[in-house]
Amino acid sequence: MIQLKTILNCIDNSGAALVECAIVVGQKRHASIGDRIVVVVQEQRGAHAEGMASSSGPKVKRGDIRHAIVVRTRQPVQRRDGSVIRFADNACVLINKAGDPIGSRISGVVGQELRKKKWSKILSMAPMQA
Amino acid sequence: MNAAPLARRPLACLKAGLRQTRQHRLFARQLATEATTTPTETTEAAATTPRAPLQHDFFKLNDRKTKTLRTAFAVYPTTTAAGTQSAAPPPVNALLSLHEAQIKKMDPTGARTALVARNREAAQPGDVLMVTHRRGGEPFAGVCLSIRRRGIDTGVLLRNHLTKVPVEMWFKVYNRNVAGLEVIKRRAKRARRARLTYMRQAKHDMGSVEDLVFEWKRTRKVYSTGKPAAAGKGKDKGKKAVAAGGKKK
Repeated sequence: MIQLKTILNCIDNSGAALVECAIVVGQKRHASIGDRIVVVVQEQRGAHAEGMASSSGPKVKRGDIRHAIVVRTRQPVQRRDGSVIRFADNACVLINKAGDPIGSRISGVVGQELRKKKWSKILSMAPMQA
Repeated sequence: MNAAPLARRPLACLKAGLRQTRQHRLFARQLATEATTTPTETTEAAATTPRAPLQHDFFKLNDRKTKTLRTAFAVYPTTTAAGTQSAAPPPVNALLSLHEAQIKKMDPTGARTALVARNREAAQPGDVLMVTHRRGGEPFAGVCLSIRRRGIDTGVLLRNHLTKVPVEMWFKVYNRNVAGLEVIKRRAKRARRARLTYMRQAKHDMGSVEDLVFEWKRTRKVYSTGKPAAAGKGKDKGKKAVAAGGKKK
């Protein structure tokens, strides 16, 4: 249930670590896995942190307003076959306005709902999907 | 009955008219015999197979103008008239019987039911289970936090760490997409809770079960070639795997 003011982890190497949801794009209710949101970068990933920031420096800076795709939610998501998935955190991947990911790598598992929502670029970048 | 020729030429037409009525009566008698025999057949069928749906017949009416039969409305046989040939009584708990019927349909071998039964052989909270999907994809393994027994809606909650992110998934046991459900590792000592929600806390968290899965696969010799590989292939077959998981250990 991603809504205004929700803080999410950013799990790509765009340089953002924590982002805050500013608006859910295209719908009037909360966002779930695969939904597009507008975020404000709250915390940058340090150069020392996990080697996730690319060598050319962070692509986004604190205070930047970017679009993002929710890839994990703490809220359980039910699938068509009755199975339910629930992650331990809320996470997103930054994208540009055209829908291409800003980062080049994703660390961490993403939800399979992205396939249904046609975010295949994010899916192919992710190391694992559940 | 065509009354107009009778009125015009009474004597000449009388015999023909009578013949018509005679034939008509015969026809009606045939219909009557048909109408009387069909319900008895259905009651016999109902007596032999009491769970079969009630067969219905239609009243047949003779249309005067077109001389054809037309059906009116459905007639169901009276099943309790004689007292002896009564339909099966309605079940005491309709929902329970519905669940039983559905479970019988979805799990003909009884392997899935055995896996979530309330006994020592079945899977219990604290065990590490692995679910294989029929649609491919990677099997999901995790420690079973709880088993929700609700008839056909019975499900298991599995928890694992994927890429260091805790993930919990509910799986419906009787789902056809769940091709295999296997017990990978038994808990050393029986859990004294039905729902191990405390395992979400960092202190009690089990972490990733990947190494347990790897060890279990090695014992099953999935990665070797030849005959055991066939057993490993059978893992994906579904009911077999469920049966193996249920009987194992």
